[in-house]
Amino acid sequence: MKPYFRFWGVRGSYAAPHKTHLGVGGNTSCVEFVCGDQILVCDGGTGIISLGEDLVKRQGPQEMMVLFTHYHWDHICGLPFFQPAFSPAWKIKFFGPGDSAADIEKRLSDQMKAPYFPVETESWAAATEYVEAPDGRFSHGLFEVIRFDVHHPGVTYGYRINVGGKSVVYVSDNEIQFLKTSIEKRKEEFEAHEQGLLSQMIDEHRESEIALFRDTDILIHDAQYTPHDYTMKRGWGHSCYVETVNLAIDAGVGCLYLYHHDPSYDDAKIAAIHEECLSIIRDRGSDMECHVAREGDRVEI
Amino acid sequence: MLVDDSAATRAFFAQLAEKCTFDLHACAAADEATTLLDAHVPDIIFLNVMMPGKDGYTFLREVRTRGALGATPVVIITSKDYAQDRAAARDLGVNEFLAKPVTGLEIKALVDKYCLQSAARD
Repeated sequence: MKPYFRFWGVRGSYAAPHKTHLGVGGNTSCVEFVCGDQILVCDGGTGIISLGEDLVKRQGPQEMMVLFTHYHWDHICGLPFFQPAFSPAWKIKFFGPGDSAADIEKRLSDQMKAPYFPVETESWAAATEYVEAPDGRFSHGLFEVIRFDVHHPGVTYGYRINVGGKSVVYVSDNEIQFLKTSIEKRKEEFEAHEQGLLSQMIDEHRESEIALFRDTDILIHDAQYTPHDYTMKRGWGHSCYVETVNLAIDAGVGCLYLYHHDPSYDDAKIAAIHEECLSIIRDRGSDMECHVAREGDRVEI
Repeated sequence: MLVDDSAATRAFFAQLAEKCTFDLHACAAADEATTLLDAHVPDIIFLNVMMPGKDGYTFLREVRTRGALGATPVVIITSKDYAQDRAAARDLGVNEFLAKPVTGLEIKALVDKYCLQSAARD
């Protein structure tokens, strides 16, 4: 069987279990990657609850690794209800931003302490391990994982996942072109002879963004806002879909999944966003594939 | 000292250093700066956060454990102009936080402030 991934949660910010939203899905960030008997999970939003219910029913391996991009609510709030963690049959490794294994454990377990939750991680029965990776690279079975920093409040990671000769990059939260707009706002405060260096800074920053995704086979990326909403929420750490699709084209991505959908957007609005993205791709003469990440969709890598 | 992978930012600081006559040691990576610090203690360190290899915060934590060098004033200069990043930098004991783009006036003011303090200590 080819490696594959499945979307269990595709929303950003908060869950949106409304009738009008369920074509795309209402759960927050969670993607499961499977290669043979190896399971790798990205993020523990509310989507991880359904994943956990599914995992305990499977007659499969009982080991997995869960990667966190960061610890904002929408990425961790499903973890207290993750059934495998409460089963002694399971072995679970956790990784995410943190100065040490103990620091990662603290960041994850604090959300389950009183007065926020009735059951603490001490009640977990699974064999848990918190992983350190000082050089940012590690393996889980046949998955090779490389973490990198992205532009979002606090330390936030993106992950490049290499498996079966293919690359998938998972970036749930990332504000593209933030420096460019910061420079444009303050351009007049700089002297004439400095303007060239400001342009160079914008170009360098763009190159560094492209380098993260260059020639990626599949990119799963934040596309939370419309251009109109982005103008009101600049600095919240998320991208406008126009920037996402243009960056993916510039980086030579093979296939883009629009992800971390705004919870206020219903199915019709996300379909319209998808159409706009396809239009940009056509106008730029690109052959990149572009899809909406939908809860439940399974994609062969 | 400037630690920043951005060549344009290093060039900007170099122009300013020439104009304002201060010595600049510019490093493109944190590991390069770590080596340089073995031989040279700067009056002030300007430090980017998001860099390939070792990030600015990891470098800062290492600097803070290096005896007398640990007291060197550190100014974060970053494109990540978010309240949570300002708070994280403050928790790590940085002296100042500047969001990019940083003007020559802002840099010069901090060089003057901290170099004067350093001279007063000497």
